[in-house]
Amino acid sequence: MAIEFTEDGGALRLSGELTIYHAAEIKQPLLTMLQSGNELEIDLSGISEIDTAGFQLLMLAKRETDRTGGNLRLTSHSPAVLELIELYNLAGFFGDPLVITAAHGAGGRSS
Amino acid sequence: MNLDQALPVFIEEGRALLQEMEEGLLGLEQTPDDPDILNAIFRAAHTIKGSAGLFGLDGIVSFTHVVENVLDRMRAGEILTQPDLTNLLLQSCDEISVLIDAAAAGSESDVDPTSNGVGLLHRLRAYLETSDASSDAGHLPAKAPPPVEVCGEAAVSGDCWRIVVDFGENVLRNGFDPASFIRYLCNLGEIVHLATKTERLPPAELMDPESCYLGFEIDFRSAADKQTIENVFEFVREDCHIRITPPPAFAEVAIERIEALKAEADKVGEILIEADAVTPREIEEALALQNEIDARTQRHPPMGEILVQEGMLQQPVVEAALEKQKKIRDAKIGESRFIRVDSGKLDQLINQVGELVIAGATASLLAQRTNDSELQEALSTILRLVEEVRGGALQLRMVQIGETFNRFNRIVRDVSKELGKDIELQISGAETELDKTVVEKIGDPLTHLVRNAIDHGIESTDRRVAAGKPAKGTVRLNAYHESSSIVIEVTDDGGGLNRDKILSKAIERGLVNAGQNLSEQEIYNLIFEPGFSTADTISNLSGRGVGMDVVRRNIEALRGMVEINSRQGQGSTVRIRLPLTLAIIDGFLVSVAGCSYVIPLEVVSECVELDEREQRHGCYVNLRGEVLPILNLREHFKIHGQTSRRQNIVVTHFGGQKAGLLVDELMGEFQTVIKPLGKLFGKVRGVSGFTILGSGEVALILDVLSLIQYAAGLEAQKAA
Amino acid sequence: MAKTILIVDDSASLRQVVSIALKGAGYDVVEARDGQDALTKLNGQRIHLIISDVNMPNMDGISFVREAKQLPAYKFTPVIMLTTESQESKMAEGKAAGAKAWVVKPFQPAQMLDAVSKLIAP
Repeated sequence: MAIEFTEDGGALRLSGELTIYHAAEIKQPLLTMLQSGNELEIDLSGISEIDTAGFQLLMLAKRETDRTGGNLRLTSHSPAVLELIELYNLAGFFGDPLVITAAHGAGGRSS
Repeated sequence: MNLDQALPVFIEEGRALLQEMEEGLLGLEQTPDDPDILNAIFRAAHTIKGSAGLFGLDGIVSFTHVVENVLDRMRAGEILTQPDLTNLLLQSCDEISVLIDAAAAGSESDVDPTSNGVGLLHRLRAYLETSDASSDAGHLPAKAPPPVEVCGEAAVSGDCWRIVVDFGENVLRNGFDPASFIRYLCNLGEIVHLATKTERLPPAELMDPESCYLGFEIDFRSAADKQTIENVFEFVREDCHIRITPPPAFAEVAIERIEALKAEADKVGEILIEADAVTPREIEEALALQNEIDARTQRHPPMGEILVQEGMLQQPVVEAALEKQKKIRDAKIGESRFIRVDSGKLDQLINQVGELVIAGATASLLAQRTNDSELQEALSTILRLVEEVRGGALQLRMVQIGETFNRFNRIVRDVSKELGKDIELQISGAETELDKTVVEKIGDPLTHLVRNAIDHGIESTDRRVAAGKPAKGTVRLNAYHESSSIVIEVTDDGGGLNRDKILSKAIERGLVNAGQNLSEQEIYNLIFEPGFSTADTISNLSGRGVGMDVVRRNIEALRGMVEINSRQGQGSTVRIRLPLTLAIIDGFLVSVAGCSYVIPLEVVSECVELDEREQRHGCYVNLRGEVLPILNLREHFKIHGQTSRRQNIVVTHFGGQKAGLLVDELMGEFQTVIKPLGKLFGKVRGVSGFTILGSGEVALILDVLSLIQYAAGLEAQKAA
Repeated sequence: MAKTILIVDDSASLRQVVSIALKGAGYDVVEARDGQDALTKLNGQRIHLIISDVNMPNMDGISFVREAKQLPAYKFTPVIMLTTESQESKMAEGKAAGAKAWVVKPFQPAQMLDAVSKLIAP
């Protein structure tokens, strides 16, 4: 399943595999959308898989909106996204409320 | 994990592969060295070995490994197919077959080669050895240690490793994800804290979404050793910058291991690797850093300093390794660090370098007459190199005085025992270097001085105690460099010289007149006059006919001088001053009435023009308020010839005394070989040798010491 | 969803042992007996990691990796090469082809599992 952008009643929605295979194709549309407004929200519930390349894009998006004085909120994190945010200890960086489910509270620390 | 279900597959596969090998080997008899057949046989053996390893069938692995090696060499054309060899390989197939059968029959996995197999191995290895002397021929490569190896020691008391890792840009493209390495770390211990470094993430337009920009700082609690932690990143090592700083408590463990080490290696890095304090990769990196710093700043920082700076290790661990290194080096001392060279060869070399210096001076003189600047430039390069060669050649003859000093340990022990005194010898400056010829000649005078210090200098124990001094006497040997001389001191903490006794004895012997006004220093130095002895009783040691006068003669023969300082009740110091080498000197060339003279550069302090208007007070001038005795060389050497319009004073100093030499022309610095004067001129005062100038002219080398003494004497006479 | 690993080796027993070890750890495993076979296995399913031997009939491991890396879907897929200590030049060739991780033969199943788990979680 490739990556997909959809607009759902004003909120953006990213779904599919946010990995290095799609990072190059997603970067420009992502940056373009960031310029569409100051208050942005991206729904991540549909992210089935994410790796460090994909994660860097989310970090880039966050930093860019901060820089231009905008506000980016990531919502409805999928388990894959949550796991990586916790592993990298970057909840503070994004500043979004996270819904931590019991299954992913351990953050992949078990082998 | 249960592999039993897979074993039958291996047995079946192994038998099929053996069959292939056999067919291949038989095929070789028809078409020897056929590359396709050889490849197929090799691959079959290789596969058997690989699979057997998985089942832990070490017997099959080690046997097949040798077979595989032979086949590999055959494939490479290094071993040619021959009937004997094909036979041997066929028998080897049979052996492997036996081993596989045994594995199939036995429930337990490991099978050892049969006695027949051992014989086969022997013959196979013979082929490997004759084909090449490769060291690992036929031996099984050392098994890689299992990657996850938790060391036996208890977890380092709650402290954390600090792992700082910056992933390189190519990491993601190479198929790796930093997240998986960090997840893997959790298998080895606990991530107490992790901070993601985001500062490398570039501006949006420059950011390549397939590049990695992240780094991590991880506090990691684990009982694993450093190598194990480092191995986590082994696949990305080339693309990353990794620093693993051990927890504080690790230092103690590492120091213990270093101390317990039985090592041959005497490099700090090797010691640390052997003690598992650092990993080979870290040392490699530190070496690269070391070279880099060296190239940039011309400073070669010690390995330990880099390791500590980079956070790979704590200072105390480095210190322990340095200590260990010193111990290992001390143990190795005397082992082939030197080569013996016939000193005659060295003498010859130095002689030739001396001639080279003269020839260079000639060439330089000739070049100056031409206006060829390129020639002059080339020549100045040659002269500079000659000077370096000269320095190097002389350095070859330099030896440390320590060895000479150490001989006195025995002498002091024996002599003090003989005299019933308790005396300790202290040595300092043992590393001071001087010319070997000087060292050889200094032994006798030194021996005399040391014996004298023990015999006459140090008092008996009773008297020492009565005088409130420590019962144990001390004789001290010290050496150091001062301008281009070496100074050797023999000091004792005995009673010191008795001024009055020396004076009365000197008067008694007719060395001085009763009414003569002598300074303290002059009185002490009377003991160097011929035939002087102050001992009340003639002991076994003195009275051998060798007095202090002989000491002085020996030292002066080396262009040196000797003096004694003494303080009543506190002891005496005999100070010997010697030139570093006897062969070549840096001189200052002057002329008097057209004749050239060389003054050793080390005694020249300055040159001033003689102001004719200034009143000359007989034999001395006023040099900035200081009274400077003057010696007119023209008068001293009784040279007839025109006095030049201008005259110059070369101010010289030697052993705390100063004198000016009056000359006509100053011709500058000049490096030269000393040629000794013939016997005929041995008595000439003020000349120590001669040399030949580039122009072919002879120049006398002035013996400044005696000239100074002479000038000072003249002044004293005038003053009296 | 478990990650899928492709193991390429001409030894059926080796494949089987590796397969048992990896499946035990929670991975899915696909086997191929040589390079050609492996290329066909890459089609039609998602492979997250490739383990490949070097010496194989039909198509050797290095050629296989080189071809696999040309496929858009496998451009960034991690590859573990099975090498022997005497094959240093092969190792360099393998790295150039795109196999950036390696395990030295002969190996224990646990060693293989260890290398794999550094690269992908099940």
